[in-house]
Amino acid sequence: MKNTKMISLLVPIISVILAFLIGCIIMAALSANPAVALQALWKGAFGSVRNIGTTLSRSTPLIFTGLCACFAYKCGVFNLGGEGQFIMGSVVCTVIATQCGFTGLPAIIICLIAGAVAGGLWAMIPGVLKVYRGQNEMIISIMMNYIATLFMGVLFTNWLRDGSVPQTIAVPDGTRLTRLFGLRATSAFIIAIAVGLIVYYFLFNTSKGFQLRAVGFNMTAAKFNGFAVEKYFLFSFLISGMIAGLGGSAEILGTQFFLINGYAAGYGFDGVSMALIGQLHPIATMLVAIFFAALRVGSTTMQAATGVPTSVSDIIQALVIVFTVAGLALVKLPEFKAFTDRVFAKKKEVA
Amino acid sequence: MEEILRMEHITKRFGDMYANRDISFDVRKGEVHTLLGENGAGKSTLMNVLFGLYQPTEGSIYIHDKKVRIDSPAQAVKQGIGMVHQHFMLVEAMTVLENIILGDRNTKGIFIDKDARRNEIQKLADQYGLEVELDKPITEIAVGAQQRVEILKALYRGAELLVLDEPTAALTDIEVEGLFKVMNKLTAEGKSIIFISHKMREVLHISDRVTILRAGRSICTLNRDETTGEELANLMIGRELAPSHYEKIEQPGEPVIALRNVDYCKASKHNGLNGVSLTVGRGEIVGIAGVDGNGQSQLAQIVTGVLVPEGGELDLKNKKIAVFSPEGFIEERVSHIPEDRNKMGLIGSMSISDNIVLKSTEKPEFSKKKGLLLKKKAIKGYAEEMREKYDIRCVSVEQEARNLSGGNQQKVILARELEGNPDLLVAVHPTRGLDIGATRFVHDSMIAARDRGCGVLLISADFDEILEVSDRIVVMFEGQVMGEYPGKNPPIQEISLAMAGK
Repeated sequence: MKNTKMISLLVPIISVILAFLIGCIIMAALSANPAVALQALWKGAFGSVRNIGTTLSRSTPLIFTGLCACFAYKCGVFNLGGEGQFIMGSVVCTVIATQCGFTGLPAIIICLIAGAVAGGLWAMIPGVLKVYRGQNEMIISIMMNYIATLFMGVLFTNWLRDGSVPQTIAVPDGTRLTRLFGLRATSAFIIAIAVGLIVYYFLFNTSKGFQLRAVGFNMTAAKFNGFAVEKYFLFSFLISGMIAGLGGSAEILGTQFFLINGYAAGYGFDGVSMALIGQLHPIATMLVAIFFAALRVGSTTMQAATGVPTSVSDIIQALVIVFTVAGLALVKLPEFKAFTDRVFAKKKEVA
Repeated sequence: MEEILRMEHITKRFGDMYANRDISFDVRKGEVHTLLGENGAGKSTLMNVLFGLYQPTEGSIYIHDKKVRIDSPAQAVKQGIGMVHQHFMLVEAMTVLENIILGDRNTKGIFIDKDARRNEIQKLADQYGLEVELDKPITEIAVGAQQRVEILKALYRGAELLVLDEPTAALTDIEVEGLFKVMNKLTAEGKSIIFISHKMREVLHISDRVTILRAGRSICTLNRDETTGEELANLMIGRELAPSHYEKIEQPGEPVIALRNVDYCKASKHNGLNGVSLTVGRGEIVGIAGVDGNGQSQLAQIVTGVLVPEGGELDLKNKKIAVFSPEGFIEERVSHIPEDRNKMGLIGSMSISDNIVLKSTEKPEFSKKKGLLLKKKAIKGYAEEMREKYDIRCVSVEQEARNLSGGNQQKVILARELEGNPDLLVAVHPTRGLDIGATRFVHDSMIAARDRGCGVLLISADFDEILEVSDRIVVMFEGQVMGEYPGKNPPIQEISLAMAGK
């Protein structure tokens, strides 16, 4: 039992190390010194307080979409629509912040809540179709991403267009989130961490969270034991969408301020990866999100300092995902169990 | 006789618990060697070691007198070991032929020469008298036929030694006879069989030698001709079991549940109900006798609110039920020991303690403020209490429920279902796959619940079990009630005829 816990911790760590090793080989092949490049990567991500602020700021939306995926999967439903829910949250937030003309803390709170509600409602569409019509939630939620992206397009090309530029007008200063110690990171990061902690508390310390996990593990047994499975499905879609929607509005009010082509692209699936690498644990998911953000922020410095293109960092990120998923499958094989048993047996002999 | 397999001093330890402790036995060519033991005696663990799913902590395996290390089922297959699990490992949507050639690593290239394979397999089937229809999908063939497919699959992969894990558990009597014929044919052709069972009659009928396992150790190996059923039973249990005769109740209390003309999928003979009327009173056990697959599953799920009847009425404690839902029935204190413990009863990935409190986390004992904060210590303490009371054998209550043996899993379910003092207990095959000790425990628990005033609806395909504990016996056949008989001095002949539909 202890072994399995250790293995589930070791797999992502070993995956990261392997991914970096291969990354180093690629750097060397590009005739850069991997040590220097990695140092630049580190400096770029965590080298100064300013850089740390940037990293945390980049990690914020990833934390939200990661938690969004994590929450749904814990209940056994597959919400791949984090991106669409994130965008719909941003869209509603942008409209309210730019059109209603109020500012200050109440306005910010209204914008954040409205964004969360929008994300939640957007997620309810695949949820309702799954529960009442038996549709596949994965396909519907992916399709809803495209609708959200194109809908956002209408806003920045027509309805809320900022003069000749294809982007929406920016949210007023009075609705923007405060920066932390003058850094790039804003109170959005604090909100993200708070949401993560709440999700953790809910899943592992409340009765409803316990039941939700039970539904996720074994739907039939949960039903036989009197849990209304459909309600849990709908609830987890709603909350998961609300987390993404809240993330969208926090991103608009904190960092982005306006909608533009390409906004939030890839955040949804990034979130799914974070959740999987974090093995559906909310705290681990947040750490993974910060790690990925660090790779992305640091890679720019690395490119400037050593000429290693940022795409090498993308390769490393992708390899981490591949190795973790493969690793988690590997440790389930009987050959692997035989191997670990032998290793542990040897250790005992030595001792 | 030539020896084909020898397992020497096998020990397998999980944490501090020994599942196998210094087990040795051997299998000769052309014999049926039975492993006899209670649940948790270590039979399954030993076979998982043999099949490469577990590594022994100590000990070694010899095949044809050569020491081997088996790290995975694939290697076990290469060594000529074929396993027929209790729960079949077949792809239901595929045909028999496809299932047999599936995962065959001898395939060359990317195409499968189905005709050549078909001939090969047909020949094997004819050789051993394994009748199967190669082109039928698995869903359309009977359980006995599915088992023949599993055996054929193992033979097709070159098995010299077949492990049959409780092969008769799910079979009808006629199918069991068919299986024994096949087994005789196999041994006659020089194959060897490890037969795992705890049904004494079958063991005496089919085995050449019997090795008795108890509490993880091998007690002894006996030749069938030199032993008797009593000797084997005593060796297996390690103590004398007095035949228990529970007192039968003749005057039940007021009805807890009453069905009137309940219909469900009326047209289906095997998965439906047709005008079923029956009552269960307080303080009585009503046993539903009948061959498996005559509507019993549907009946169980209707009286627990999982299925909604299509016609008729159902009264629970003299109130007519309008909305059927498991949560509503649980609220009315209906407990359910479902037929499939892994699929319906337990959350395998959660711990034993989580499974014990599964339905009651909102109670003030286990959480503050209606579930806002779980009292984890209280939950663990309660689970420890239940572990003691229900004799759940495990390393720790934090252990995943899926890793328990069948009997111990059933005890976890009992702890959950009986502790709430239910008004109605619906128990479906509650002792299926359980050994004598665990079975006795389950029966005692049901009698104790009855004596507390709980109505018990027992559904079982095991006629002896029905006779043992029922106060009233109802026979079902093709979705209909064939008749009602007293549990005290039951007319066995008449009941048997009713079970056959006469």
